[in-house]
Amino acid sequence: MMLTSSLRQRAVLLLIGNFLLLLLISLSIQQGGSFGEVLARSGPNVAPVVLAGLGLTGIIFTGAIDLSISSIIVVSGTVFGLLVHREAPPWFAFASCAACAWALSNVNAWAVRTLGIPAIIVTLAGLAFYRGLALILADVGVPDFTGNIAIHNEAYHLPGKVYAGWILAGILAAALIWERFSEIPKRWLAFGNSPEACRLSGLHTGRILQSAFSASGVFLGFAALIYVTRVQSIEPARMALGFELQVIGAVILGGTHIFGGEGSYLGTVLGAFFLYFTSELLVYAGVSAYFQEVITGTVILAVIGLDCGLQRERKLLDELS
Amino acid sequence: MKFWILPTFLCVEIAFFVWLGAPQLGSTGAWVQYLHTYFTDLMAQSAPMLLLAGGMTVVLLTGGIDLSIASMVALVASIMALFPGNSHFWWTAIPTGLTVGILLGLTNGLLISKVNIPPIIATLGTMILYRGLCFVLLGDRELSPFLEVTHYDSLGQFASSLLLVAGVLGAGGSWFWLSRWRRETLMIGGNPVAARYAGIPVNWRLCQVYAMMGLLAALAAVCFTARNGSVSASSLSGLELHVIVAVVLGGTRVQGGTGTLIGSVFGVLIIAVLDEGLRGASGWADRHLPFKIGHLEFILLGLLLVVGVWLTSRSHPRRH
Repeated sequence: MMLTSSLRQRAVLLLIGNFLLLLLISLSIQQGGSFGEVLARSGPNVAPVVLAGLGLTGIIFTGAIDLSISSIIVVSGTVFGLLVHREAPPWFAFASCAACAWALSNVNAWAVRTLGIPAIIVTLAGLAFYRGLALILADVGVPDFTGNIAIHNEAYHLPGKVYAGWILAGILAAALIWERFSEIPKRWLAFGNSPEACRLSGLHTGRILQSAFSASGVFLGFAALIYVTRVQSIEPARMALGFELQVIGAVILGGTHIFGGEGSYLGTVLGAFFLYFTSELLVYAGVSAYFQEVITGTVILAVIGLDCGLQRERKLLDELS
Repeated sequence: MKFWILPTFLCVEIAFFVWLGAPQLGSTGAWVQYLHTYFTDLMAQSAPMLLLAGGMTVVLLTGGIDLSIASMVALVASIMALFPGNSHFWWTAIPTGLTVGILLGLTNGLLISKVNIPPIIATLGTMILYRGLCFVLLGDRELSPFLEVTHYDSLGQFASSLLLVAGVLGAGGSWFWLSRWRRETLMIGGNPVAARYAGIPVNWRLCQVYAMMGLLAALAAVCFTARNGSVSASSLSGLELHVIVAVVLGGTRVQGGTGTLIGSVFGVLIIAVLDEGLRGASGWADRHLPFKIGHLEFILLGLLLVVGVWLTSRSHPRRH
C-alpha cells in the first residue's frame, strides 16, 4: 500500500537517523575494527528483532498486541534443544522450532477469540505460562537437567550463523511485496480502525484477528529459528528476557500506531535497525554494559513518548467529534 | 462474583497445601504449633505484596496498569542499601527511600497523563529502565546493611508487618472508600472523557494515583529488606505478575471501573498460599513429579490471570 504522509515522514527521519548513527559509529571505531565488518554483522544480529517485529506489526495493525513473543521463542528454543539432545536430523529440529512458534501464536489468537479477553491480558498471562512450559519441558525431556542445553554440533547453527542474512533479506522482500499487493494487511488496518465497521460490512472479524496472529506466527517462527541457532546453549530460565520490549520499541519507532489502524512494515524494519545501531554506538563509545539497559529503556520511552505526545492533539480532536 | 467464593477457595487451598506439605505430626499441640508458624510466616511473607496490591487495585480502577512495581521496589531497596548500616539509617535512608518511591511513581504518572503514553507501554518501559538503574547502582554485588541497623529487622516480623498493612490498607483504604477520590477514580476508569467534562482534573488524579503506587512500593521495599536482610539488582523480578494476578482474582476489572480492596487482600492471600504451598510441597514433588514444582507456578499464574479476568468480565458484561 502507499504510505500515508506521516508514515513517509517517519521513514525518512529514521533513514536519516540510521545514516547519522552509522557515521558516528564509523568515527568512533578504534584501531583494529573495520566499518565493513560492523555493517556485515548488523544484518544477522538484528534479524530476530526485525522478523519478530514484522509479525508484531501485523498484530498491532489490528489494535491487539502480543507480549508473549519472548516466551514463545523460549518454548521453541527448548523444543529445538530437546531435539538436538536426542540427535534429531537438523532439518527436523529447525522445522519443529519454527512450527512450535507458529502454533503458540495461533493458540494466543484462539484464546483471545474464545474468551473475549483483551489480547494484552491473554499474552501477559502467556508470558508467564509459556516460560513455565519451557522449563517443565526441559526438566521432563532432559534427564538431570542442569539449567542449559549446550549445542556443540555446528550443523545445528547453520540458519543463525551462516544463512541469517540471506533468510532476513528473502523474508523482508517477500513481506514488503506482500504488504504492497495483498488485501489481508489492509483488512487488519481496517479492523484496527473500527472493528464495528468491519463487522457491519460483512467481514468475519474473528478470522481477521486469527489471520493476523497466524501470519505473525510465521514471522516469529523464522525469528525464533535464527535466535535459537545463534546461541551456544539454550537456557530456558534466562533466554530472551526483555526481547518483547525491543520488538515493541522497533514497531512503535517505525510509526505504527500502538492502538492499531496505521503503520507500515518498512517503518518497523528501519526502527529495528535504529535501535540496533544505537546500542552498537554505545558499545563503540565505551559505555559500560550496566548502562546499556538504562539507555535502551530511555531511548524507547523517549521515542514512544514523542510519538504519543505528537498524536495528543489528534486524540483530543477525536474526542470532540 | 459472589462474595463467599474467595474465602471458601482460600480455605480449600490452605487445607490442600497443608495436607500436601505437612510433616507427620502426632499430637494436637504439635499441629497448633505448626499452623501458628504457618500463618505468621504467611502474613510476614505477604506483607509487601499486600501493600502493592492495595495500590494496584486503585491503579486498575483508573483503567491503567503498573508493570514497573517490582523494579520500583528493587530500586528503592538498592538505594537504601547504599547507606551505611548504622543508627543514622532510620532518618537518612528511609526518608530518602520513600521520597525516591514517590518520584518514581510520579514519573510513571507524568508519562501516562501528560505525555499520553498508554499505561502498559509506559510502565513496561520504566520497568526496564528502573531495573537497569538497579544494575548501575549495585552491579553484581549483593548488599546487606539492613542487618546492622538496630531494630530494623523487627519491621519484617509478624506483629509490625500486620500493623503496617492494617494501618495502610485499613485506615488508608477506608478513607479512600468514603472519599470523593474513589468516585472520581472510578469515573476516570469508566470513561475518562466524560470525567474530564465533569470537571475532574483527570491528569492530576492519575499523577496522584501513580505517585501513591510509588510510595506503597517504597513501603514494600522497607518490609522486604527488613525481612530479607539483603538486596541484589535482580531481586523480586516477576513480582508484578503475582500482584496483578492477585488483584484480578480479587474481582477488580482490568479495564477499570470496578474493584474492591478486600477482594484484592483475598487475592494476595490465595497467591501467597500457592507460593508457600508449592515450596512446601517440593519434598512430595521430588518423589512424584518429573520436574521441579517451582516451574508449575508460572503455569498456574498464567492460568489464574486468564481465569480471573474471564470470571470478572462475565460478571460485569461490557455496556455499550
